[in-house]
Order: sequence, then structure tokens, then C-alpha cells
Amino acid sequence: MRKYLQPGAIALAALAATPALAEFPMDGDVTFVIPYNPGGGFDTIVRTFAPALEEALGATVVPENIPGASGTRGGQEVYRSDPDGYTIGIFNIPGLTVSEATDRDIGFPLSDITWIANLAEEQYGIAVRVDSPIQSVADLCNMGAPVKLSDTGVDSTSSITAVIMFDILDCPIVNVTGYGGSNDTMIAVMREEVDATLKPVGSLAKYVESGDLRMIFTLTEDTVLDGVQNATEIGHPELANFTINRVVGGPPGMDPAVVAMLSDALRVASESAPVQEWAAGSGTALTFMAADETTAMMSALSEFYVQYKDLLAPQ
Amino acid sequence: MGLDALLSAVVELVGGGSFLYLLAGVLLGLCFGVIPGLGGTTALALLIPVTYGMSSLDAMYLAGGVMGATSFGGSITAILLNTPGTAPNAATTFDGYPLAKQGKAGMAIGASAAASALGGLIGLFTLLLFIPVAKEVVLKFGPAEFFLLTVLGLAAIAVSVRGKLLRGLIAGGLGLIFAFVGSDAITGDIRFTGGIDYLWDGIPLVPTLTGMFAIAQMIELALKGGSVAGDEAPDAKAPDAKTMKISGVGTGVLSVFKNWPTLLRGSLIGTIIGAIPGLGGTVAAFLAYSSTVQTDKDPDSFGKGNIKGVIAPEAANNAKDGGSLIPTVAFGIPGSAETALFLAILVLHGMNPGPAILLYNEREVYGLIVALTASAVGASLIGLLIARWLVLITRIDVGIVVPVVVAISLTGVYVLEGRMADVLLTVGMGILGYLMIRFDYPRLTLIIALVLGETAERSFHQVMLISDGQALAFMLNRPVSVILIVATVITFLLPSLRRFRQKRALVK
Repeated sequence: MRKYLQPGAIALAALAATPALAEFPMDGDVTFVIPYNPGGGFDTIVRTFAPALEEALGATVVPENIPGASGTRGGQEVYRSDPDGYTIGIFNIPGLTVSEATDRDIGFPLSDITWIANLAEEQYGIAVRVDSPIQSVADLCNMGAPVKLSDTGVDSTSSITAVIMFDILDCPIVNVTGYGGSNDTMIAVMREEVDATLKPVGSLAKYVESGDLRMIFTLTEDTVLDGVQNATEIGHPELANFTINRVVGGPPGMDPAVVAMLSDALRVASESAPVQEWAAGSGTALTFMAADETTAMMSALSEFYVQYKDLLAPQ
Repeated sequence: MGLDALLSAVVELVGGGSFLYLLAGVLLGLCFGVIPGLGGTTALALLIPVTYGMSSLDAMYLAGGVMGATSFGGSITAILLNTPGTAPNAATTFDGYPLAKQGKAGMAIGASAAASALGGLIGLFTLLLFIPVAKEVVLKFGPAEFFLLTVLGLAAIAVSVRGKLLRGLIAGGLGLIFAFVGSDAITGDIRFTGGIDYLWDGIPLVPTLTGMFAIAQMIELALKGGSVAGDEAPDAKAPDAKTMKISGVGTGVLSVFKNWPTLLRGSLIGTIIGAIPGLGGTVAAFLAYSSTVQTDKDPDSFGKGNIKGVIAPEAANNAKDGGSLIPTVAFGIPGSAETALFLAILVLHGMNPGPAILLYNEREVYGLIVALTASAVGASLIGLLIARWLVLITRIDVGIVVPVVVAISLTGVYVLEGRMADVLLTVGMGILGYLMIRFDYPRLTLIIALVLGETAERSFHQVMLISDGQALAFMLNRPVSVILIVATVITFLLPSLRRFRQKRALVK
């Protein structure tokens, strides 16, 4: 009971001090929009953060799934909301960044979104079958035929990363897309349908551990796994720019004070024990960035992907 | 090792308060099953946030209870109102509803209950047998096999519409046209959307099915008036035709044991199709139904109230749950929408299901299997207990039934994604469905083509890419592919063979 009384008392005090202005976040529930169905990566991270965020913020946080159109529908919903801090959302980044860079209409300008925080970041690796003769990216590119890779959809981030990376290396590929999920793409490697797959290091690690796949490369600046080449070693450190981000944003024109409150609460949440435990168990790399840093990262990402506009535009 | 986990899951279920979670799951599953538009996937999606505070094993009991109970729940509305409660029950309407109209609804529900329970048990038993070799099985099924399975499914559609081949092909063609709306699975190009954002993800199955069956059937009933069974039971001697007494439930249960080959075939088809991601219960039940018709001595008796037409699809759509867990135990990948949500629950509980799922999550996997088993049997028992009251629905005036069903199904469709566009699509499909009833076009053919179309297109493109354009040579090198090609050829030849034999018998 006390738990509920306390924020109430503070709210009352605040109301008494500034009768005209109700203080965020005491006005109601905070809706946290998830642009995908329950159960996916976006849903899981939001639902894991929600209880800790509630505690840090002192307001009820309601995760709401608004799936559809590759994450654009949920994004549009956040974009159209009132910029009062009571509606925030997680965004499909860099999926939306790439869509925008290739002139695809996502229904709102990404640069207008008020960026609040970055929660997690994942890097990519490349794996082959455990008994494959291929030991390195150079081996892959010297097979005498285009490298066959497996992926979910052409607009998935890993697929985009693969297209750009192998173009930089001047190495032809056949990207076999259409697999149901990232697990299916790794099983496709085991079934010998394709030569290799490029996926987040955390996902590949499960199959490396079970002895089904072998990692040959990580798109990182430094060594992540002993004996596995990284981007710097093959002379292309820029490949480490390809990451998956879990970015939280709100409608355009939010009050900086509210943004700071939300950002701080998300930081406290990401340091809380339940979130840390979950991250360790699920292999998620928590990489917290506050509002300013996130905004800078988002514009750097847009510039980065615009360079590859011609390569990524639908033929 | 597996046996220990299985035993401890049973002990925990019987011992603690976990049993209540299972019971809650079963009751919830029955309700979500009965209501057209809602199904197991919706129930589980709504439950996911609720499971957050539970132990992972209790969450499994709840999820298993729901999964095991929905398809039997859905058969009740399929039989009584010609309105499948969930997608997989669509095939049950073919013979279930004629039985209800003849005043034999009790018998049909009895058969559905027994077939669901036994089908579920056979599916799970098959799963237990397969666990040691699950990895090998999954590795044998790639895009080539998925493509050939869809071809087999399309072949089954073509031969299932006996007597009205042209109408069947038109309905199937329309289903395929619907299936190709939205973004291309391979290139990501947006096709046939007419500039409507809603269609980017394609024409969704649940609103289409709910419209085609629930809404269309209510339009039909409303225009006809009366009640479903009331005045038109042709068999006036049927014990429950005039009085309000319901009988035949026991006969229905017994009929499943009498027709055990039908039960077994339905269950095996359900298990196999269940293991293929993307096909699921609707296709499994349809294939079980059509194979039962094709191999029966008297195929003309189907569609008019043959009890085997209830047993086969109901056995299949419960057995598919066992099958859909084969890819899950092998690699931690989902075989169906429900198992995807099961995996999501594990993720939410801080687990990381993957190829080592049986190593790290053995407790949860076996917990789910035990819950599914208990639920398949439990739901049927509850169903049998309340069958006599349920059947009374067929005697209620349609003036009351129609508005209730329409309101509930449209709400159900809305709840699923919270999109008004889904409701509009449901109404549109309802009108199309009514026109199809009116002009005698098979609706399920359209639905099956809609389900198969996307998988067929995607996996064909994949095979072309993987094989460097030599698709046929690639498939002929794979044993499972060859078996599927042979099965497809046989499916096409069976009707001709039967005709040939009939002619010869006549000549003699």
C-alpha cells in the first residue's frame, strides 16, 4: 500500500506547488509501443524493461504491440502521438534507417523522432558448417562460385549488411532469402543449402556451442572469439559499423526535461538486477546510451547507409 | 534422461497448485476455441504478459492447457453452427454440420471429443518416439520438401472437389491470387496492394476465415430463418428430433474406436503436417479429411453426415500439436504459431532456446508435453459433460444466434491485432463467402490455397537459388522429395483408378 501512496503523495505535493502544470509522469500510464507481435526480440526487451522502468519512473508502463508493415505502423503510431512523454516506442533500427536511405516511404521522417535512449547493441558474425573446409572470409570468396548465404528477408538488417559487406570485399554472393527466422537460416547452413550465414554473434553462438556451426569472422574492431578473424584484421574496420540497435524514441518536439527523466529511468532500469540477469541468460549485449548520444548515433547511421543507397535500392 | 523429466513433470502437475493453471488453461482454451475468430494463438498471445510473474513450469502448464483445448472447442461451433471456431476446424464442418442438421449433433460432438483426445495422444506419442532422431528429421526437410508438400496439398484440393472441378479450381485460383498480395517473400517488392498499407503483410488468414465461414454462415442462416436443427431433421425417428433430449454422445465416442484406421491416418497426417512450419492445422485437417474421402469405399457418403468426416480432421488437428514440437525439440524453432509463442514464453523467462533446448530447457519441454496430454483428454471430458446443453444451441431461433455470433466474431477479429481494417476485411470476406455458398463454390479450397500459396512461392524461389536453377535435378537427388513427388502423382491417379475399377465391376 505504501508503494502506491508514495508517488501519489508526491504527485499531490507537485499539484499543490504548480496548480496549472501536472508533472510528468503523474498524469497517467506510459504506453510503450512495440512495432512487432508478442514474442519477438523487440517485444521481449520491452517487456523485460517495463517492470524496472515502472519502478524507476514511478508510473505504470503499458507495453502495447502495434505490429505491421515491417515495424513502420508502430513507428507511425508513436510519431502521431502527443509529445507529452506518455507515448514512447522501440524502433526497428537500422531497418527503418535503411528504408529511408533507399527512399522507401515509412510514413514519417525518422530525423523528427525525439530519441530517448539506446538499450542494446549487437554485432554480427559469419558462420559455416562445423565440418566445412572453409576457414576464413578469403576462403569463402575464393570458392570459384558466388557465395551462397541464407537470410530471412531482403529488407532484414543482416541481409543488408551481407550485401554491403561482400560488395566492399568485391566478392559476389547469392543471398537466399525467405527463411522463417534466424534459426532457420542457420539450419539452412547445416542442411548444406548455403555456404554460410551472417547473423548476430549472440544467435550464432548457440549453434557454435551445440557443435553444429563454426564461426569464421566477426564484424567487430577487436577480437571477440580467439582464432576468429575480425574486421580490422582483414583491413576493413568500417565493417564494425554494422550493428543492430534497440532504440527508444518518442514523438517530435518532446520537452527536454521529460526526455531526460525517461532516459534516466531507462538507465536505472538497464542497471537493475532482473534486466541484467535476463541479458546474461539470453546473450543480449546491453549498451546504454543517453538521449544526446543516441541522437548522434541515429544521424551517423543515416549518413552511413545513404552511401550505399544505389546498392540497396530495389532493382 | 527424458523419462525422468517426464515423470517429474507429471508428479509436479499432480502434486502442486500447478493443476489449477492447467485447468485454467483448458477452460480458457475451450472458450477461445468455441468463439469464431479467436483461437489458441490469440489466447497465448494475450497470456504471454500474464505468465511473466509465474514460474516457467506453471507457464508451460497454462500454455499447454490452452494449446490442447482450443481445437476441440472449435469443433463444437463447427458442428453446431457450420462455423469453425478455429481455422483447423473448417474441415469438420463438411460432415459435422450435416449430422447436426439431422439431429445427430450429440453423436458428432462425441466423435469429435474422442478423436481429439486420441489424436492428441497419438501425436504426442509419435513426438516422444521422434525426440532421439528429431534433428535428423528436421535436417531432411528443406525448401525442396516444403515446396513439394504444398504441391501435394494443392493436388489434394484439386481432387477433393469431386463433381464440381471447375468451381473448385476457380475457388483455389482465387485463394492463390489472395496469397500473392503483399510483399514478395524473396525480393521484398510490394505487389497487388493497390496503395493500401494494410495489405503490405498480405491478406491475413484469420479475418478471411472468420468472414468466409462465421459471417457468411450467419448471413445464410439469417436469410433462411428457423433454427439449425429444429424443423428440418429429416429423420423424425431420431430420438432427439422432437423432444429436447440429447443422445448419441456415447455412440459418437464408440464410432471413433470402430473407425480406428481413420483415426490413425488422421493422426499421422496431422503429426507430419504439424512439423512443417507455415502449414499448420488447417492444412493438416483438410489433408486428413480429403485422404479419408479418397480412400473410402463410399466417397459419395461424405459431405452428407459421415462420422468419419468428423473423426479424421479432429484427430489431425490435435495430433498436429505433437508434430509441431518436433522442430522445437530439435533446434528450438517453432513448428506452428502456438509453439512460437511457447518459445517466446521461455525467452521472456530469461531462457535462450536454441539447438540445445533439450539440454537446458528439458523441464519446460516435458512440462509442456505433459500439459498438452492432460489438456487433450481433459478438454474432451469437459466437452462430453456439457455436450447435452451445447447441442441446444441448434434449437435456438437464428434471430438470437446470428447477432450474438456476428458480434462475438467481429470483436474477436479486432482483439487479435487491434486493427479496424481486419474487421472490414472480415465483413467483405463474409459477403464473398455468402456468394460462394449461394452459388455453390467450395470455400475451404480458397482458404487452403491462401495458406499454401505463400509457402509454395517462397520455397520454390529458394530451391531455384540453392540449386542454381536446376530445381528438378536437385529434388530428384533428395529421398524425401522423391517420396513426395510419388505421393502427388498417386493423389492425381487415385480418382481415375477408382473410376476404372468401378467400370470394370459394372462390366462384370
